[in-house]
Amino acid sequence: MTDVDPKWEVRMLELIAEVSVLKVSQIRPEHRLREDLGMDSVCSLELISMLAEEFDLDITVEEAAGVATVDGAIAMARRHFALARS
Amino acid sequence: MSALEWAAPAEGVDEAIVSSVRRFAQRELDPLEIDEAAQIPTRVLAHLSALGVFGLTVPEQHGGLGEGLRLATRVVAALAEVDRSVATTVGLHLGLGTRALVRYGSAQLQAELLPSLASGEWLAAFGTTEPGAGSDLSKLKTKVTADGDGLRLDGEKAYVTNGGLARLLTVTAASAGEGGLAKGMAMVAVPMLGRGVVRLSEEKKLGLRGSSTTGCLLDGVKVPQHWMLGDPSTGKAQLDHTLAWGRTLLAAGCVGATTSALGRARDHAAMRRQFGRPLEEQPVIQGQLASATVLLGAMRALMETAAAQADDAALHRWSVSAKVFCSEQGWAVTDTALQLHGAMGYLENSGLPMMLRDMRVTRIFEGANDVLITHAGALELQHPAARDDLPSMAQQVADAVARRGQRLREELGVRAFRRPELLHWLGLAVVWRDAVVAGCRHFDSGAWQRTLCREACAARRSADRRLHPADDQAQILARSR
Repeated sequence: MTDVDPKWEVRMLELIAEVSVLKVSQIRPEHRLREDLGMDSVCSLELISMLAEEFDLDITVEEAAGVATVDGAIAMARRHFALARS
Repeated sequence: MSALEWAAPAEGVDEAIVSSVRRFAQRELDPLEIDEAAQIPTRVLAHLSALGVFGLTVPEQHGGLGEGLRLATRVVAALAEVDRSVATTVGLHLGLGTRALVRYGSAQLQAELLPSLASGEWLAAFGTTEPGAGSDLSKLKTKVTADGDGLRLDGEKAYVTNGGLARLLTVTAASAGEGGLAKGMAMVAVPMLGRGVVRLSEEKKLGLRGSSTTGCLLDGVKVPQHWMLGDPSTGKAQLDHTLAWGRTLLAAGCVGATTSALGRARDHAAMRRQFGRPLEEQPVIQGQLASATVLLGAMRALMETAAAQADDAALHRWSVSAKVFCSEQGWAVTDTALQLHGAMGYLENSGLPMMLRDMRVTRIFEGANDVLITHAGALELQHPAARDDLPSMAQQVADAVARRGQRLREELGVRAFRRPELLHWLGLAVVWRDAVVAGCRHFDSGAWQRTLCREACAARRSADRRLHPADDQAQILARSR
């Protein structure tokens, strides 16, 4: 991952909205993937998997399982973008 | 001990209940008559009520027996040995129909409804499938919304088992806004005779014809707030628990019906002579009967293992394997039983076609097996099953599954969750692993364990062969259009 679309956060929210069958405007950073967005544990991993494919990130199952919120997913992606640049 | 004779210990009162249900079924049920009439006689339902079957899992303070899933599975299996439609009607009532109310319902609602449900005066149904939403529950269109002091439901449910008999319907509904959620799912109790509830006509089905299946419209149905079952903020977890009960009870029906099918096959093989000796003395038939006996034993062991789980996550996991394995192997063994009967098995009055027809849907409802197998793979990838204290032969099978999972984790990381064909491939191995683990824990016979492991290896090889490259599949399908 070298050229990150500057609008990646928007795209990420679109994907989260797609998986949780909500509008982007309804998604808030503090939303918990399971309790607030109605995902079960497998569904939340599918979401992270979708993000990994979209942004070409190598994310382990363990790391993905630790993501609990929308904010957490964005932070995880940010870490990987930084790693890719370094 | 043979699989047909085997039963986990259920002493005293438990055994008395199972025995009395089995005696009743053998004496009072006429499966062919029920299949032909496409309904269960009223006197049968009344007798089951008198036996206390409908209150088996209802707390004693509300008129039930206060029993758990384990005894419920044994009772459903005993009924299914004789008639699958009756077993389905009872199993649905005890599991999907009333479980959410028993576990999550408010004290007020339980006091209002459970006595009638325990006595059998009311039967319960469960509605989750919709014309546009089957296994994908994120697509539920039925909505529950706040309406003054109460709740309002709008939507349509399809394939509601017990729909034509029930007075209570437990429905799943999207609960946007409820409990502070952006999006959620809730279960709500609905009176079938309430205003706005429209029961649709009976479906004509391939099998389970005595079991009622209808659609149901919910048109502005209003219920009091306390008819919400549990906390909507944890609605998905509550639904998972309820579905796990349903899957385990479905597995129990498969165990009972397969016990009956295999018993008939063995009786026939002992009696029928071909080429100068009974079928049961011919090696090919012996091989089929031995495999079927071991598979039935593994089915029962899986059912018992699932039903014994107290932890929700463990129950969820075991119930998936139990449902898939018992329905798939129940179908295979029943087909073998029909085959062993020769042309006689093809005649309706032998009862075997009905048994096969009744078994077919178990691979579809309560979660289509293909979906559940993929889910089992995803669960394994997320949390690999513990491999401590396994019988040695089961250990080998479990190690092989763990290696598969590890390979996927290392090669694809979290992206494996976007590869359903690989999850399915892993999930199939998981289901067989669970059958081997449960089976080997219940049976210490080396021959028995070796046969089960051979069946598991054959299933794994079959799954491997079907894992075609995606490009090949796409090309074949494109050219066939």
